[in-house]
Amino acid sequence: MKHGILRLPANILLGAWTLIIAVPMYIMVVSCFKTTQEIYSNPIALPQSWDFGNFIDAWVRANFDVYTLNSVLVTVGAVVLTIVLAALASFPLSRLSVWWVTPVLAFFLIGLMVPVRLGSVEMFVLMKELGLLDSHVGLILVYAAIRLPFAILIMSSFMRAVPKEFEDAARIDGAGDLRLLFNVLVPQIKPAVGIVAIFTTIAVWNDFFFPLMFIFDPDLRTLPLGLASFTGEYSTNWGLLFAGLTISTVPLTFAYVILSRQVREGVGAGGIK
Amino acid sequence: MKLATRSQADQERTAANHVAARSAGRPRSSRSRRLALRSAGFLIPAAAVYSVFLVYPLLKSLIGSLFEWKGFRTVGFAGLENFERLFQGRNLELLTAASAHNVMWFFAILLVQNILGLVIAYVLFLRGPRYSFFQAWFFFPAILSPVLVGALWKLLLAPGGPMEWLLHSTGLSQEPVTVLGDSNWALSILILVDIWNWIGLPILVFMAGLHAIDPGIFEAARLDGASASRALWEVAVPLLIPSVSTLTILTFINSFSQFDLVYIMQGGQAGPNGATDTLVTLFYRLAFGATGSVGINDVGLALALGTLLFLFLVAVSLISLRYFNRRSALTEG
Repeated sequence: MKHGILRLPANILLGAWTLIIAVPMYIMVVSCFKTTQEIYSNPIALPQSWDFGNFIDAWVRANFDVYTLNSVLVTVGAVVLTIVLAALASFPLSRLSVWWVTPVLAFFLIGLMVPVRLGSVEMFVLMKELGLLDSHVGLILVYAAIRLPFAILIMSSFMRAVPKEFEDAARIDGAGDLRLLFNVLVPQIKPAVGIVAIFTTIAVWNDFFFPLMFIFDPDLRTLPLGLASFTGEYSTNWGLLFAGLTISTVPLTFAYVILSRQVREGVGAGGIK
Repeated sequence: MKLATRSQADQERTAANHVAARSAGRPRSSRSRRLALRSAGFLIPAAAVYSVFLVYPLLKSLIGSLFEWKGFRTVGFAGLENFERLFQGRNLELLTAASAHNVMWFFAILLVQNILGLVIAYVLFLRGPRYSFFQAWFFFPAILSPVLVGALWKLLLAPGGPMEWLLHSTGLSQEPVTVLGDSNWALSILILVDIWNWIGLPILVFMAGLHAIDPGIFEAARLDGASASRALWEVAVPLLIPSVSTLTILTFINSFSQFDLVYIMQGGQAGPNGATDTLVTLFYRLAFGATGSVGINDVGLALALGTLLFLFLVAVSLISLRYFNRRSALTEG
């Protein structure tokens, strides 16, 4: 195609959008090292000194250490529970050809279409009755319930593509159902497990709505909830605010740098099949 | 070769099954019942968590809209009374305003974010893998939580903040930046922040769609002398209907579920003066009371609103899935 004429506008578009993302990120990071006064007088200048005081204050005084740990616990719990439950359910749903497979699968897939937040009042009442308010276990169970439809959709369709020969060989070796599932089938669908793990992690790590409803104890707050109350509490200390924002950005950014490659490989492997 | 081994294995298996069935002396139906029982052990854990923590509360919320509530307890059957109250006086005003904001949000994202995403995806597609960094970079904000994005932009757009400094020092404006407190601007600003946050999604979906198109089609367009932009609008877009349908449904569901950005940037009251109120922030205030005033809630009203929104979202998603399926079947045929 003749894209000579369009080269300049296209470059401007790419360049402009790169900056629209980069400038806020840059301001966020350099502001961590500044006093509120410095940020007001020139937000894009480099800081006068690379002082980590704001980070230490945010990490210790504003409890970001606690929030981060809570987020890690809840996210790991939800991801592991989702994957284990989805692997178990996907086994009969993908390896059997009996009449009830389709309706059972459909029952799970309904969960992909419904706006889950609209069930939050009854979720709150349920949590209260089960004594799961103010508990990470309660959050993990709700997240697993919400993420299961997607996990089962992906894992069962990958599992269906594993050749029958793998199953037969394992059976001849005397493997039972569980060993067949976790030692033979799950290793065959690593890309699916990766996709589910990545998407569940992002969704759970970033969720604000359910902690807002279920968590009242400040020591149990996850990062988004902690961040929300922190921005209200320290609204005049800008250096500290930007430090808190930067701390919350780091874990997923780090994961994104490593895993964006893995996502591509995962999708690639899925495509080859 | 492969076929031969497979059918051989199949034969062996059926033979083995026959032997097993005969030696156990069981009829076929009993075997399938045993299989169902064995499968139940695998299905029950997932089905239990999913049913108890998602399906049950959702169903109960739908039914609960027909009851009268005191706090978080039902006190009696109310029929359609909650729905009637929702369409009266002040409630109707709130409902209309919030719906209008969601509709605006939907169309703005649908047009601005998706068209911008399509153009960027097309440029990156033409440039090839050397430009894959840009795709990763443009997607980067999408991994950040709306809370973080909202808090960041709230600081950037604060009066006397970095955005004001940038506008003043580049001479673009000398006015103080007060857009977040200005009811004419507040909603548009939130939508722009949402576009900033999620532009990577349409880029990703359109890139996948463009790669799925036969390269020969673009080659033919080039040989016919079509410019790159004509090839996009007249050749690629009609073939990207599946991507457009995916994005339309996603945009629809996301626009009508907006909560986090509004709550973080404008508070539970969706200020200034309700200018950024959405159906879900309204639902949240009705269900859990306004922030700081626990107890002032109206669960019956919240559930009536939730039920209507639920039915609306599910119905529209189903209809559009159907519509787009037929459309893409037509284009393929």
